[in-house]
Amino acid sequence: MNKFLREARLWLVAIPVLLWTLLPIYHIFLFSISTKDSAFSGALWPAKPTLHNFVTVFRQEHFYLHDFWHQIWNSLWIACATGVLTLAIATCAAFAISRLKVRGGRTVMNAALFTYFIPAAFLAVPMYKAMGSYGLLNNRWSLVLAMVTLAAPYAIWVLKQASDKLPWELDEAARIDGATPLQLFRLVYLPLMTPSLVAIGTYALLLAWNEYLYAFLLLSNDIPLAVGLGHFLASDDSPWELLMATALIYGLPPAAIYYAFRRYMVGGLTSGAVKT
Amino acid sequence: MASVSFREVVKEFGRTRVLHGISLDIADGEFVVLVGPSGCGKSTLLRMLAGLEDITGGTIAIDGRVVNHVDSKDRDIAMVFQSYALYPHMTVRDNMGFSLRLRNEKQALIDQRVAQAAKILNLDPFLRRYPRELSGGQRQRVAMGRAIVRDPKVFLFDEPLSNLDAKLRVAMRTEIKALHQRLKTTTVYVTHDQIEAMTMADRIAVMNEGRIEQLGEPLELYDRPANLFVAQFIGSPAMNIFDGVVRAGSVEALGARWPANGRAADGQRVRYGIRPEHLEPAASGIAAEVVVVEPMGAETEIVARVADASLTVMMRGRSRAGPGERLFLAPQAVHAHLFDAASGLRI
Repeated sequence: MNKFLREARLWLVAIPVLLWTLLPIYHIFLFSISTKDSAFSGALWPAKPTLHNFVTVFRQEHFYLHDFWHQIWNSLWIACATGVLTLAIATCAAFAISRLKVRGGRTVMNAALFTYFIPAAFLAVPMYKAMGSYGLLNNRWSLVLAMVTLAAPYAIWVLKQASDKLPWELDEAARIDGATPLQLFRLVYLPLMTPSLVAIGTYALLLAWNEYLYAFLLLSNDIPLAVGLGHFLASDDSPWELLMATALIYGLPPAAIYYAFRRYMVGGLTSGAVKT
Repeated sequence: MASVSFREVVKEFGRTRVLHGISLDIADGEFVVLVGPSGCGKSTLLRMLAGLEDITGGTIAIDGRVVNHVDSKDRDIAMVFQSYALYPHMTVRDNMGFSLRLRNEKQALIDQRVAQAAKILNLDPFLRRYPRELSGGQRQRVAMGRAIVRDPKVFLFDEPLSNLDAKLRVAMRTEIKALHQRLKTTTVYVTHDQIEAMTMADRIAVMNEGRIEQLGEPLELYDRPANLFVAQFIGSPAMNIFDGVVRAGSVEALGARWPANGRAADGQRVRYGIRPEHLEPAASGIAAEVVVVEPMGAETEIVARVADASLTVMMRGRSRAGPGERLFLAPQAVHAHLFDAASGLRI
């Protein structure tokens, strides 16, 4: 009985939270399968559900959608580049700080984390100025570099924490076995860090994928889809059903990535290394 | 195979000195156990030999070559860790062949050496498994296999059995000793378990607070401990030790006269030591009161009270004595150990 009550209480909290989270998504879905006329009807289900909006988006048959494929490609490119670059920097940094115990490593990490005291929105203008001096404005790399700057401190910190948990004896065993630091990194460290690397790579990738402010500031022609979506609101009579259909498509890759890598989000690869 | 020599080796962590000038020579093919309570510096000494800790002072030489500034990988040693330290993402075969792979040996040679080691350690059926799929004892054997495959000059063991249950520990103890007799590789073995030390070692170095208290063959340490620390550390159950004063060739203690060798001066304050098995009950002698009887089958351990001291008595066979009963102890002078009360050194 007690257990029943506990579970009931849990459900009482869970169901409203779930509804609260799903409602906007349902709203998007509803708009995306409605015709332009019925989009604002207020019904819970459209009278004539249609997939026509998606066809319009895919065929780029609207003024705001002329660059849809190009923009989604930009989003993908920027997200992937950010993910890979963040991972490369953060992994090397975490390895150096946590495993090689490089002098001043912790200070560097703390200094990097300190940058989070300044909100990203405040940094936007200085970042714009910096990218301008490098001649990178309106270049996809400017957004990638900006996103790496924002993602790296957190990534280094998380990977450093994960590295600290790897048994130290593995490094010592490898050293005695004759491994150089690079071999240790490649043959022992990277394989054992895979779950954390996937999680952090996904984090950086999604951070860049979802970014609007910096993308809007730094890029004018080669814009990602997030900024493209913003353009929909530029007119008085926005095509909401197309906006929502595009938004739904835009939301799919992150969901797919989460689903694909959910196994890695939980660790467990190191079991068996040392007696615990 | 090679000899190992420590010369006045000192280790400091910051301002704390943990090793105070250790000198120790290990002969080619010898099995030396470093034993001592936790924090005595035995693992640090081993790790310095392995190249995992810097040497603050003195020299360490392997096969006559000073290795103070030689990298671990170039010292030609292999180490078995307490936690096994197997690479979890590699199969048993890859774990064992890893060091050879790093040396860019040919695959055929690696396979041959791994197969050879696997055969010695009965690991053949497990070569394709991952460490997480093995039991504790099997993992320990893989760790040993990884060391064997390299055919090093010196084997280093850092408390390799302390994670195993009691039964497996005894089995692995025998296995390690048999392995050493077969390979005859110089071995330095660290443990806090004096029974492990006694059963496996050619020679034991008993360490305490960063110093070697005594170095010698197991039975030499047991029969003639150089000081109180060694006397108390070696032997299980531990030696009975109590205060006394020398009077006319024997020792007055606990209200009785205890026989002793006549080396101590009359009136000298001493600590009298006698091993439990040398306190067998007799028809007459020093009276004691039985407190606890612990039958173990072949032997019986009795905790008895003499004056205000609890003494452990070990008798062969079984005892009918019950708590509260009296028994008589008749120790012999040849078995008595006398230590100076002030310095703790053997008299």
